[in-house]
Amino acid sequence: MDSIIKRIEKEIADFAPATGAEETGIVRATGDGIAEIDGLDKAVMTEMVLFDPTFDRSLEDALKDADPVYGLILNLEEDGVRAAILGDASRVYEGMLVRRLGRLLSIPVGDSLVGRVVNPLGDAVDGKGPTKATKFVPIEREAYGVMDRAPVNVPLHTGIKAIDSMIPIGRGQRELIIGDRGVGKTTVAIDAILNQKSEPEESRPICIYVAIGQKESKTAKIVAQLAELGAMEYTVVVTAPASAPAALQFLAPFAGAAIGEHFMDSGRDALVIYDDLSKQAVAYRQMSLLLRRPPGREAYPGDIFYLHSRLLERAAKLSKEKGGGSLTALPIIETQEGDISAYIPTNVISITDGQMFLLSDLFNKGMRPAIDTGNSVSRVGSAAQTKAMKKVSGKIKLELAQFRELEAFMQFSSDLDEDTKKRIDGGRRMTEVLKQTNGQPLPFEMQSAIIFAAVNGYFDAFTPDETSAMEKKMQEYFLREAKNVLSGIREKKEITEDLEKELRSALQKFVEINKGA
Amino acid sequence: MEKVYASALERLLSQGVKEDALMKNLMTHLKARGRVKLLPAILRSLKVAQIRNTVTGATVEVARKEDAAKALSAAATHGITADKAIVNESLLSGWRGRSKGVLVDQSGKRALTDIYQRVVKV
Repeated sequence: MDSIIKRIEKEIADFAPATGAEETGIVRATGDGIAEIDGLDKAVMTEMVLFDPTFDRSLEDALKDADPVYGLILNLEEDGVRAAILGDASRVYEGMLVRRLGRLLSIPVGDSLVGRVVNPLGDAVDGKGPTKATKFVPIEREAYGVMDRAPVNVPLHTGIKAIDSMIPIGRGQRELIIGDRGVGKTTVAIDAILNQKSEPEESRPICIYVAIGQKESKTAKIVAQLAELGAMEYTVVVTAPASAPAALQFLAPFAGAAIGEHFMDSGRDALVIYDDLSKQAVAYRQMSLLLRRPPGREAYPGDIFYLHSRLLERAAKLSKEKGGGSLTALPIIETQEGDISAYIPTNVISITDGQMFLLSDLFNKGMRPAIDTGNSVSRVGSAAQTKAMKKVSGKIKLELAQFRELEAFMQFSSDLDEDTKKRIDGGRRMTEVLKQTNGQPLPFEMQSAIIFAAVNGYFDAFTPDETSAMEKKMQEYFLREAKNVLSGIREKKEITEDLEKELRSALQKFVEINKGA
Repeated sequence: MEKVYASALERLLSQGVKEDALMKNLMTHLKARGRVKLLPAILRSLKVAQIRNTVTGATVEVARKEDAAKALSAAATHGITADKAIVNESLLSGWRGRSKGVLVDQSGKRALTDIYQRVVKV
């Protein structure tokens, strides 16, 4: 009681009434989350406005319903403006007073957001009280220019063997995760977050997971998983669930980018996951149609490409002069029936620096993660790959491609020569080695050692069916018997001649112990 | 197109151009350009503009009748020139005035609402 009395006394003592003139407009019409506003002649694009529910009510009524409703100006028209309502649209009514706030849509950012779940306006939604972030930044910002950037040359390990070996990601890269629903796109992204725990604290990226149009139960499950495995210590979750207005779903990725940029600007690394941009595109289409903007292909507005390009261009690796921070983006796109040539998928594929394509056929065959190595590519990541991984993973992609060809051939040919049989078995073993349970990312030194074993034929002593179990045994064996080799790889980031000798001898012993076991 | 004509008419009237001459010239122009069919639309636009001017016209509200004179002169300093002040007891104290999209709110209700929102938000 004392505290509230003191607080009110302080507010009254500090209160300076607004004496200046404010620019106001009046709601002409409202519906479907969009308000048509008369007036506001000097308003600018993406400026925030306040729908004032207190203006034409008595003080008593006004205080009962005093929460402000914000809007975002998205159309400037001849005799008024159109704004998206960022909140409960049912509280906006015809004739309502609207005030210009004189600032572009901004959100609070800061280190205090880490470990929190916020909405696209920066308000906490995790029930732990308001965030302590006080610095406001506009959510739409121009991306860094050429001179401010540095080449992508530091790896961002996802902890997934198939990705870190064949589709490596660098800090500052934009790598698309694409596939049908239920093929493990979110799982790959979450594993990438979980794997950052194995990074040294000083170089560990801050992760931002942006859930767009997702079921709240799914987001809650992800947050619980991240918290349980200690990943919320370095993660911010931005959520605009399916029940949120389309405007918030459209803004969520931009809010995530703004939060990530805060860390990048302070010289740190950040990883932002947009899950998923297909739903954001749908939300933007809905808003654009309601704003009476002309529809284009598949009824998307003409600037749908720009929507995604300006968002993803904000991912960057900054030059030393700019602090050397980075923002890596992993956008997710959901395809229909594996069609990557649809409008939004092709747009985002062309914007990003590569894509991992997840196939439902592979998923159904038990391949986890179900990455289609033929259609997946990383355009800049190989420059960021550690020497250790580069050394061991050189031929995997080619071998797997050959295996897939032979696998198809095998289906209608019963009589195979020895060489073909050997190649097929090798491919099956490699496929088994690359399988990985979700939620169990591996540090890169472990990945390098296992892939080294696979490409150098140390699994040949076992049948393809035994490979998966042997791979797990090998992990345990390395942790028990060859810790020094792992720490050597981790430290030097390459497999030197001495380390290779030690690794070969450890693998030889492993094969001897387990052969015929 | 009709909005352009309507706003041009509005502007010329506000500049003091005589209505008879304006009407004659407008009709001559529309006939010459073959745009007479625009006339009903121009009329609609003018009516909308008239309503908008009424809604956004200058108003001054006061909490108490005796503050009217003071409020009118204070409002005038902000460019809000109204003929009379309307009593609105819900303002509690002070005054507020509006004209053409500009609002000056120096009422007690606004002050209390602002304090309430700041206290509740923290």
